[in-house]
Amino acid sequence: MSRTKIFTLLLVAAIGFSAFGMTLAQDATELSLWVFVDRHGLYMQNAADRWNEAHPDRPIEIVYEQIDYTQMHDNLLASLLVGMGAPDLADVEIKKFATFTKGDIQFLPLNEVIDEYRADIIESRLAPYTANGNNYGIDYHLGAFVMYYNTGILEEAGVDVDSIKTWDDYIEAGLKVTRDTDGDGEIDVYMASVEVTDIFSAYALMLMNGGGTYNADGEIILESEANVEALQYLQDMVHVHGIARPASGGGHHSPDHFIDLVEGRIASLWMPQWYMTRYPDNMSSELADVAVVRPMPVFEEGGYTTTMGGGTGTAITNQIDPDKIALAAEFLAFAKLTYDANVLLWTDLGFDPMRLDVYDDDALLITMDDFSGEMPFIHIKAGLGNVAPEYTGPFYPEIATIFQTTGLYDLIENQMDPAEVLANAAEELRAMGAEF
Amino acid sequence: MLNSLRMPRRLIPGFFHHKKVVPFVFLAPFLTVFLIFKVYPVILAIIMSFQNFQGVKSQDWVGLSNYENVFELVRFSQALTNTTVYTIGTLLVLIPLPLVLAVLLDSGRVVASTVFRVLIFLPALTSLVVAGTVFRLILAKDGFLNLFLEGTLGLDRLRWLEVSELALPSLILIATWRWTGMNILYFNSGLVNIPQELYESAAIDGASPWKMFLSITLPMLRPTTFFVVVLSIIGGYQVFVEPFILYAGGAGPGDGGLTLALLIYRTAFTSFNFGTAAAMGVILALIIFVFSLIQFRFFGVLGRED
Repeated sequence: MSRTKIFTLLLVAAIGFSAFGMTLAQDATELSLWVFVDRHGLYMQNAADRWNEAHPDRPIEIVYEQIDYTQMHDNLLASLLVGMGAPDLADVEIKKFATFTKGDIQFLPLNEVIDEYRADIIESRLAPYTANGNNYGIDYHLGAFVMYYNTGILEEAGVDVDSIKTWDDYIEAGLKVTRDTDGDGEIDVYMASVEVTDIFSAYALMLMNGGGTYNADGEIILESEANVEALQYLQDMVHVHGIARPASGGGHHSPDHFIDLVEGRIASLWMPQWYMTRYPDNMSSELADVAVVRPMPVFEEGGYTTTMGGGTGTAITNQIDPDKIALAAEFLAFAKLTYDANVLLWTDLGFDPMRLDVYDDDALLITMDDFSGEMPFIHIKAGLGNVAPEYTGPFYPEIATIFQTTGLYDLIENQMDPAEVLANAAEELRAMGAEF
Repeated sequence: MLNSLRMPRRLIPGFFHHKKVVPFVFLAPFLTVFLIFKVYPVILAIIMSFQNFQGVKSQDWVGLSNYENVFELVRFSQALTNTTVYTIGTLLVLIPLPLVLAVLLDSGRVVASTVFRVLIFLPALTSLVVAGTVFRLILAKDGFLNLFLEGTLGLDRLRWLEVSELALPSLILIATWRWTGMNILYFNSGLVNIPQELYESAAIDGASPWKMFLSITLPMLRPTTFFVVVLSIIGGYQVFVEPFILYAGGAGPGDGGLTLALLIYRTAFTSFNFGTAAAMGVILALIIFVFSLIQFRFFGVLGRED
């Protein structure tokens, strides 16, 4: 057979196969999705299965790709910039979202599909993904801060985990827990680890004390008294009371820090609820018998009981096929905002729901082997009395970067005065063009 | 198959047989890639550095204001200092160490020198993503490096990954691991070119190995050394991947490992300000250009060749 003939045959075969593939795909509308957490992709695929059961006439197929956090956001930014190569749907993390809202926004507004559920969801969960009055992303979860304790260590020190109600109680308990167990003159167990290269330890205290990065009016409030107090409190935990130390490797996602937790060198820490997934995912459930979740301590009676940390909004990019837009938006709301979806957020994905009306549903009362066989949801719910809102704005990514690089390092390692830390950050932001 | 490769001469227009054209025909694949992926982006970056390029929108010309922004950035001087210190650090390690190792490996006094050569060269081929993860474990407080220093020299454990001052030494350590083998290779090719007779006559005159090293090997290796120094400076100023991988996209505690390239990246991909980032890129290119020029003069490569 001549080469031309073989080539022609292959070409015909290729066309034939692709046509065959097209007829198969015509049944379900394919939506591509980029995620940086595999759980998110799986959740959306499960949601697509549920959607297909409910809407057999308009089936959907979610094809997701999990890419490393930094690379995924960079790729997305690059593909939106050049106008090609972006997926239909993309996860964008809260610290990165404002980066995407500079210039002409390349995401499609979701206001219409959100409106139906707006009354049921915690509005400030939409705020981070909102620009010019449009909602561009829908989060997966609430991300309320909770305390993670190792009851084994606490009991050894004679501390009852449920006796800790205020931050002052926490420090008092910390003084009992923090100690040199082998008598070599070095402290082996600390009450807490705090992040130096990430924001969560600091932001939680700042927000719960009424501070934060932006206020409701969109103004930068870095140098507020509430922030100064909160950072002073954090610094004192490390240097005055000596109950906390910087997390090994700098943050609560560093491999050496996970080793510290497993080895029982850290008795507690505060992180958003989604950090629960790190216990099976990063620590192979090795703390299953001693790990418990409890509400955050409060600064004062009647004050904020917790706040929100982190988050990831799923957005629809403007590179989606116009015929798919309506379906994609409807599906997004179905997957994340409906009552059933919010129940499954907890039971399926292990994330705290952002619709408050599901919090009374008994379906959420499930025991978890990774957390001493308790029902963690009871404690998460107990902490939601007065949630400090978090507001973001155009310089939210830059503020986070300053905290992650020099801000918290100066505060914790160099013991710089908190007011000076915040003044430095403000000065740097102004040099970048922020006006406040 | 072979028949089809031997195309009849008449099928190729006469123009392509011209002596001046043929080389470019053969170079075409490389030149195409080079023009699209190197020259075009460089030109574009220079254009962007004069535009207000923030986010996705139409750009307008802003003159030198991006360059002014660069010098206003609080981190710019820190990044410049860090990058310079890093470059000097790599020069101090990555010139003498590979030179000595190359001479040793070449001297015939090392058993199985090929095995060593391969082993030392391997890091240059290793995936940096994997290496970054491994180095995070090596540099951890209970990691290999601390245990090693404690065991051999009795040193206290250092917080390599957590203290700002140790960020650059950590990066230089990774650079040493990665590039020693490569530089040995360069020095080795230089050594091969030194005529053996020089050593023989020196030996007859009673020169010691040390004297031969100083009076023959070092001077004869000058062009090679120059080449390695230039490459190291260019590489040093462009350093990006090592800190990026080691600090998971950040620049280490207190920005201790912040380099110019990382700051460019941060300005472009966190602030979405491609104009200022491009301006910084042009400044970095100028710095490297000036350094290279000084070296060319210093080593007498431009103009007079001795």
